[in-house]
Amino acid sequence: MKDWILEVAKEKFLFFDGGCGTILQAAGLQAGEYPETWNRKRPEVITKLHYDYLMAGANILKTNTFGANCLKFPEGAGEDSLEEVIRLAVKNARDAIAMARETAEKEGIDIGEDHFVALDMGPLGKLLKPLGDLDFEEAVEIFKKTVKIGAEQGVDLILIETMNDIYEAKAAILAAKENSDLPVFLTTAYDESGKLLTGADPKTVVAVAEGLGVDALGVNCSLGPKQMMGIVETLTRYASVPVIVNPNAGIPRTENGKTVFDVTPADFKEAMTEIASLGARIMGGCCGTTPEHIGEMVKAVKGLAPKPLTYKEDTLIASYTHAVEFGKRPVLIGERINPTGKSKFKQALRDHNMDYILQEGLTQQEKKADVLDVNVGLPEIDEVAMMEEVVMELQAVTDLPLQIDTTNIEAMEKALRRYNGKAMINSVNGKKEIMEAVFPLAKKYGGLVVALTLDENGIPATAKGRMEIVEKIYKTAETYGVAKKDIIIDPLAMSISAEADSAKVTLESLRLIRDCYQGKSSLGVSNISFGLPRREFVNATFFALAMENGLNAAIMNPSSVEMMKAYHTFLALSAIDENCSEYISYVTALPEMTEKAPGSGGIGSVGSSAATGDGSAAGNVDGGAGKNASGAAGGANSPLKEAIMKGLKERAGLLTKEALQTKEAMEIIDGELIPALDEVGKGFENKTVFLPQLLMSAEAAGCAFDVIKEKMASGGNDREKKGKIVIATVKGDIHDIGKNIVKVLLENYGYDVIDLGKDVTPERIVETVKAENVPLVGLSALMTTTVPAMEETIKMLRAAGLPCKVVVGGAVLTQEYADMIGADKYAKDAMGAIRYAEEVFG
Amino acid sequence: MEYPIKKFAVDAKEIILNRRESLRYLGYFGNNTGDGEAAGESRGFEAEAMVAACEPEVLEVIRPVACYGRFAIERKGDALLFPYGEVRSGDLSKNLEGCKEIYLFAATIGTEFDRLIKRRSITDLAGAAILQAIGATAVENVCDRLNGYLEAEAKAEGRKLRPRYSPGYGDYGLENQKGIFQVLEPYRYIGISLTESLLMLPEKSVTAVIGIE
Repeated sequence: MKDWILEVAKEKFLFFDGGCGTILQAAGLQAGEYPETWNRKRPEVITKLHYDYLMAGANILKTNTFGANCLKFPEGAGEDSLEEVIRLAVKNARDAIAMARETAEKEGIDIGEDHFVALDMGPLGKLLKPLGDLDFEEAVEIFKKTVKIGAEQGVDLILIETMNDIYEAKAAILAAKENSDLPVFLTTAYDESGKLLTGADPKTVVAVAEGLGVDALGVNCSLGPKQMMGIVETLTRYASVPVIVNPNAGIPRTENGKTVFDVTPADFKEAMTEIASLGARIMGGCCGTTPEHIGEMVKAVKGLAPKPLTYKEDTLIASYTHAVEFGKRPVLIGERINPTGKSKFKQALRDHNMDYILQEGLTQQEKKADVLDVNVGLPEIDEVAMMEEVVMELQAVTDLPLQIDTTNIEAMEKALRRYNGKAMINSVNGKKEIMEAVFPLAKKYGGLVVALTLDENGIPATAKGRMEIVEKIYKTAETYGVAKKDIIIDPLAMSISAEADSAKVTLESLRLIRDCYQGKSSLGVSNISFGLPRREFVNATFFALAMENGLNAAIMNPSSVEMMKAYHTFLALSAIDENCSEYISYVTALPEMTEKAPGSGGIGSVGSSAATGDGSAAGNVDGGAGKNASGAAGGANSPLKEAIMKGLKERAGLLTKEALQTKEAMEIIDGELIPALDEVGKGFENKTVFLPQLLMSAEAAGCAFDVIKEKMASGGNDREKKGKIVIATVKGDIHDIGKNIVKVLLENYGYDVIDLGKDVTPERIVETVKAENVPLVGLSALMTTTVPAMEETIKMLRAAGLPCKVVVGGAVLTQEYADMIGADKYAKDAMGAIRYAEEVFG
Repeated sequence: MEYPIKKFAVDAKEIILNRRESLRYLGYFGNNTGDGEAAGESRGFEAEAMVAACEPEVLEVIRPVACYGRFAIERKGDALLFPYGEVRSGDLSKNLEGCKEIYLFAATIGTEFDRLIKRRSITDLAGAAILQAIGATAVENVCDRLNGYLEAEAKAEGRKLRPRYSPGYGDYGLENQKGIFQVLEPYRYIGISLTESLLMLPEKSVTAVIGIE
C-alpha cells in the first residue's frame, strides 16, 4: 500500500494542512525555541493543531519535524534526541487522526478515509559546497538519518519542503529514495522574482526533481497564493507528476506591533480555487494559514473536477539556475574541455591546473555555448577524482549545464551524483554491457543520455541499420525506466574522406530520427571533415545541412567563426531568429572578434582579453593608450617597464616577445620586470599606488613572465627559482583573494609557490613543509575566529621541529595578534610578504 | 515551521552604489597619512573609471534581500537579555541604553556574487578586488534601505532607532552570530548560512542589531 497516496492523487484533489509556527507562537513558543521540542513538551497543542486541520478537511499532515535533523537534535538517547523528536511527532499526528475519526464517527461528520502522515524535512540551514561549507555527501548523510527514523516510525510519505536551493533538495531526495520506499514529495520556496534563492526557476526544478524521481512537486512558503500563479502555471506546464501548492497567507506585516498576514480565509479560498483550475492537485497552506483557511479551501475545491494529469514530452536538461530545452533551437555544446589532441590541456590535467580548465569553460560561455561537454580522461591521471573536481569547480564559476563525457562508469556516477542540476550523459550505445551500466545511473540521477548508433557489430553503413540500433536503445532504456524523451540519438558523423556518402547517411539518419521516431538528435559535427584541409569549411556547411535535417544539438567549438556563422545564418533563414536580431548583433560584434584591438589595459577590457595570450592580438605594439597612472613613474622608462607599471597585460606580453629577439631573458627580468614591480610596490607602500593598480601590474608582469617561460622552455632552460614558499588560507577560512594576491606577487619575484588553497588543515601544511623542505610559510586568515587555526598551525610546525619561518597576514591580523600566536613576521599587505621573503631568502 | 520573521527584498536595479565607498574599500582616500591623502585623491580618478566599469556586472548578478524580526530585550545587571540569551557587551549596552526593543536583521546580496568573484579571480585579480569592493558597497546599501524602512516603521509609532550594531563591533563578539542565526533563521528566509568559524556565506552578508528607543 505504499503508493496508496499516489493512487488517490491520480483520481482526486488531496489537501495538505496549513501553518504551524504562527499558531505555536500564539500558544507561547518563544523566539529561538525549537518548535520540534513541543512534540514532547506540549503534545496536546501539536495534536490539537493536527486535529483541527483534519476536521477542516486536510488529508495530509506534516509532522512537526521541519528542523528535525542531527545538526539540531543529536542522535541517540535523551528526551530531545533525533529519534525521540521524530517518534513523538509521528505519534502526535497518528493520535490526531484517530481522534478526528472518532469525532467524525460520533458526530456523523464526513472527513473521509484518506489520511496520511508526511515526514516533514526542511532545509538544514547550511549552504552546500562549493559556495558553502557543507559537503554534498554530508548533507545526504544528515537527511538519511531523519529519513530512516521517519520510515521506522511508519510515516506514509516524505515531504521535503521550503527548499531554496535545488542542490540541497537533490541531497534530500537522494537520501529519501536511498533509505526508504516511501513516496517523495518536494516543494520549494520561490521569491518575488519567481526563482529560488540560489537561482533555479520552476522549469529547472521540474527537470531536476523529476529526473531524480520525485512523486509530486510544487511550491510552498515565501509568497501568498496570488503571487504564486505564474509559478504554478509553469510547474503544471512542465511537470508530469502532480503539482503541490502550499502558499503563505500572504506576506507578513506588522500592525500595532503584531504580525499579521493579509490573506483572509475567504481570499485564500478564492485564490486556491483558481490555482486548482491551473492544474494543481495537492493543495494546502504554509506560514500564516489556519484551519479556517484550509477549511474554506477544501469546501470550495473538493467538489471540482481536477484537471487531468498529462505526461509531458519536453526534453530538458538543467544547471542549478536554468533549463535548456531540446527541440526548439539547436543547442550548442562546447567541446573544448577535452584533452584529445590538445597538448596544453593534457599538461593542465597532469599539473592539476584547474584555472586553465575552468578558463576553457568560461571562454566557451563567452562565445555563447549553451552546454559544456566535460571530458578529463587521461590514462595517467585519476579520472574519477578529476571528473568530480572539475564538475564542482565549473559549477562554482559558470551556470551552464554540463555534459558528463566519460567511458569510466565510476567517474560518470560520481559526477552525476555531485552535479547540481540535470546533466547530459555522454554516452551510451547499442552494446548490451554499456546500456546495462549507464541506464541505471540515468534512472537514478536523471539526465539526458546521448546514444550512439553503434553496437557489438560496429557502425551500420546505412541509415536503416542505424535506426535498428535506435529502436533497440529506446526499448532497452524503457525497461530501465528511462523515458524516450531523455534519450538523444547521435547517428554519428564519419569522415567523408574515408567514406564518400557518409554525410548523406548521417543526414538521412537525422531525418528518420525526427520524422519516424519524433526523437531528438545530437552530433559531434567536426568528425565529418577528418583528413581534409581547412576542415572548418566542411564542418560549417555540414552543420547547416544537419540543422536543416533536424539536428537538435551539436558538439562543437563555439570559438570557430565558421561554425558560428553557419549557426546564426541558419537561425535567421529558418525564422527561429525573430527579425534576424541575433544575426545582426552577431555580425556587428564580428570585427572585434577577428581583429582584436590591443588592450588598453583598462579594467573593462580584462574580461575578454585575459584568455591565454596566444598571440592573437595584432600589431601596433607602440600605440597603446597610456594615461593610466603608474604612481611611481619616473624618468625615462623602457616601454616594457612602462607597460608593466601601467598594468597593460597584452602590451607587456608583446613587448617582451619583441625584447627577447635582442636581449637575454635574465636581462629582461632583472633589468625591466623586477625594477617595474619594485617601483609599483614602493608606490603601494607609500600609498601613491593602490591595490587595483598593484594587481594589474602584477598580472602584466605575469604575462611577460609567461612569454619568457615559453621561450626558456623551448630552449630547455627555466627561470631559476629563488626558493620554495608554502602559502595557505587556514582551516575554517574560505577567503582566498588576499592569499592569491600574495601568490601572484611572489611568483613574479621568482619564488616557487606551493599554494595549498583555502580551508587548509594544519596537518596538511606541516606535511607539505616537511616533504618539500620549505623554509618559509605564509598563512592567511580573515576572521578573528580563524586566527586560532593559524595559531594551531604555527604550534604544529614548531612542534614538528621544522626550521621554517612563518609570515602571517589577513584583514583582522595585527602585529599584536601575530606576536601572540608566535608568528615570525606580520605582513600588513602583499608587499610586506614580498619584503619578508626577500629577507628570508637573502 | 514558521516565525514572525519578515523578508525585505530590494530590486537589484534600485541598489545605489556609492562609488566613493567602493574606492575607500580599495584603499583610496582616508586610512593613509599626510600627502598620501592628496595622492589618493588624484589616483582616485583613474580608479573611479575602473570601478564604474565593473558596477553593471555586480548589479547584474546580485539578489539583494534581508530578513528581520522585532524583539523585546531586558537588562539584567550589566548583561542584556536578548531573545537568544544573555549578551555581555559594554559597547552594545551603551548603544542600547534605554531601549526596550530591538530589531535583529540579516542582509545579503546572494550567492551569484560569490560566483562572479570566483570567475573573475581566475583571469583577473585586479578586477576581482574591485568587484569585491563594489559588493561590499552593495550590501551596505541593502542595510541602509532596510534601516530606512524600519526607521519609518518606528517613526509611525513615534519612536526612533539607534545606529545599527554588528557582531564584531567593539566588544560585541562574533559568537553572537550563533544566537542571531538561531532566532532569525536567515538560511531559511534569505539563504545565508553560518560556518563553524562564524563566517557568513554568501560572503557579502551582514547581520546587525538596531535599538528602538
